[in-house]
Amino acid sequence: MRKLSAVALVAAFVVAACGGGAGGGGTATGAAATTAAAIPAGPIKIGAVLPLTGSFSASGTYFKQGYELATKEINDAGGLDVGGSKHQITLSILDDGSNGTKSRSLVEQLVTQDKVTALLGGYDTGLVEAQQAVPDQYKIPMVEGGGAASAIFTRGNKYLFGTLATIDDLGKSTMEFLKYWIDQGKLPKPLTVALVWENTDHGKDYQGAVNLAAKNSPDYFKVVLDQGFELNGSDFTSLLTQVKAANAAAFLSDAHLPDYITMHRQYTQLGLSHKFVSYGARGPDQKGRDALAAAADYLVAGLWWTPAQPDAGSQAFTAKWKAAYNVTPDWFQALSYETARVLYAGMTKAGSLDGTKIRDALASLDFSGSIVPGGHISFDPTGKPKTQIVMTQNLPGNKVALVWPKTVSGYSDAIMPFPSK
Amino acid sequence: MLDWSNVSTLAVAAILTAGLYATMSFGLALVYGVMKIINLAHAATMMLAAFAVLSLNRAFALDPIIGSIVILPLFFVAGMTLYSVAVRRVAAVPIASLLLLFGTWLVAQNAAYLIWGSEDQSIVTPYTYSTIDVLGLHIAVTRIVPFVMSFLMLGAMRWLLGSTDLGRAIRAVSQDPTAARLSGIWPERTAMIAFGIGTMLSAFAGGMFTLIFSFTPDFGGVFQLKSFAIIVLGGLESFLGVALGALVLATIESFSILIPGWRASLVNLLAFGLLVIALVVLPGGIASLIARRTGRAVQ
Repeated sequence: MRKLSAVALVAAFVVAACGGGAGGGGTATGAAATTAAAIPAGPIKIGAVLPLTGSFSASGTYFKQGYELATKEINDAGGLDVGGSKHQITLSILDDGSNGTKSRSLVEQLVTQDKVTALLGGYDTGLVEAQQAVPDQYKIPMVEGGGAASAIFTRGNKYLFGTLATIDDLGKSTMEFLKYWIDQGKLPKPLTVALVWENTDHGKDYQGAVNLAAKNSPDYFKVVLDQGFELNGSDFTSLLTQVKAANAAAFLSDAHLPDYITMHRQYTQLGLSHKFVSYGARGPDQKGRDALAAAADYLVAGLWWTPAQPDAGSQAFTAKWKAAYNVTPDWFQALSYETARVLYAGMTKAGSLDGTKIRDALASLDFSGSIVPGGHISFDPTGKPKTQIVMTQNLPGNKVALVWPKTVSGYSDAIMPFPSK
Repeated sequence: MLDWSNVSTLAVAAILTAGLYATMSFGLALVYGVMKIINLAHAATMMLAAFAVLSLNRAFALDPIIGSIVILPLFFVAGMTLYSVAVRRVAAVPIASLLLLFGTWLVAQNAAYLIWGSEDQSIVTPYTYSTIDVLGLHIAVTRIVPFVMSFLMLGAMRWLLGSTDLGRAIRAVSQDPTAARLSGIWPERTAMIAFGIGTMLSAFAGGMFTLIFSFTPDFGGVFQLKSFAIIVLGGLESFLGVALGALVLATIESFSILIPGWRASLVNLLAFGLLVIALVVLPGGIASLIARRTGRAVQ
């Protein structure tokens, strides 16, 4: 009896505990896109579905603010120029509650009920992946800056464009950076690498890039540990013991913020030390620096934008953002702002509100004057962005240095190898 | 290749993690033991406690260990209130109580989003990176504290249940509420106090977690599932069984990396695999195994 009741309770418990998870997929059927051959007078509707509540609400809110700031600038300047006439833009932003299934259906709602002309993407790879079938289905272009897994651009979408360089680019930049410092004699050759990665598309991209570099340059890199870990892990001691046992010179990890904080705390507590440590895109985030204090010093990160960039555009954006929202922006805000600006530039270039024409304009767009590293955003035939990653190094005193590529404005040499602690 | 030092690190990590796991499982075990209710609001309690400790730390620079103790009366009262107002009314119907407590978890999660937002939060103390070196092993102070606390808590709970009138009443109600009532015990009142204590224990675990983890309103879900595996393995109603269940899970998790080809990303599979095995092979848990061997019930 006791056994039976326990089994029943397990079933109910697991069902309950798994409830509310994000999902996606499924194919909807629907009408063809609404296309507008002529440009009607009045405002242009742009739609976006973002996680304004739930686990991604902080980042979702940054994206909302970025979209709104870019839109306000256009509207304040008289409107968006499409086909020689100026139009105000009205943004329709819906909340998916960080749920993939809801996210997809709300994007469809924006297209079929609200009749938006174009879409701005959601945030987090999982939610962007949930949304990504809709633009092609209705032939309404979407520009997104919240999904960075390369898998997004392998599904044959023609109406989806990304502004975030993908994680394999991040991994590639990290390995090029390391190669440079090996050539400078600051790191051993070959460099032994202990590699750990979160078990997601994001982490697998990173793993793939590091292993590819090691395969292509066996005289430079030797991966001595290649281990995945579960998101939101409670204890990384076993994993880090493997890292210790691997006796590598470099430690590379791809982790989201909570895992980065927990892992690097345990790394420090276990007394581990490497000549080089990177947690992918984690490093200069203020939350991470607050949580890790001096333990976060010298970490190197690959980012899509940083307020440390000294170019005039980035500094102007930082000042503008501070004036509007009273906080220093991070890459989330910068990329969402740029994502909206890219879409609007594509619409102006198209000179039309027709979805296919806007799509074609975006496909051939070279958006210059961008604040992203390199100053340009354009796309390859899959919609993947041709943009650069900038590498930063945390310095004591909550400072951040730009350490890669060498051509980046404000470049300074990284402190390499890391000082032993 | 793992040398002696690495194996020792794994062994110490397993023991310390067991302390952490036991701390978070006692509350769930007590509530199940008395009311036969799986408290799906356990994760919510841990999460809210973590934010309460954070708020005290931000407002008064209160150390998280002291904060974890200061919040206990609040959560004791909150637990009793939740029981009186809601749980009591559906306690006799397991699925209704599950749904109610699951709903409570969701409400608490969304309330936390409204109050504290979804940013990752963490507390840094002067001893966050302090370690004690024993035979060349670095043992983090933030790991030792929950371990010691779990021992103290295990002792306190054994004393409470074994040597006080309240403890005897709780045991009596957990064994047979009708017989307890005939003996002059008020089962509803006893259950309410037990729910309050269970909530308090979960809150204490949540407070201790702030020493180690960053957290958001989503915090606690994985720990709740692991707690459940631990109490099933331990025997559902035995505190010593819970401690042993925690040790078994932590040891298996720690040493799993020795399995050739093992992926650390599969670590949660161990808890759920263990849960299934315990249900099929050892439905009474470790406590029943010990009881069979010694002929004495394990508390």
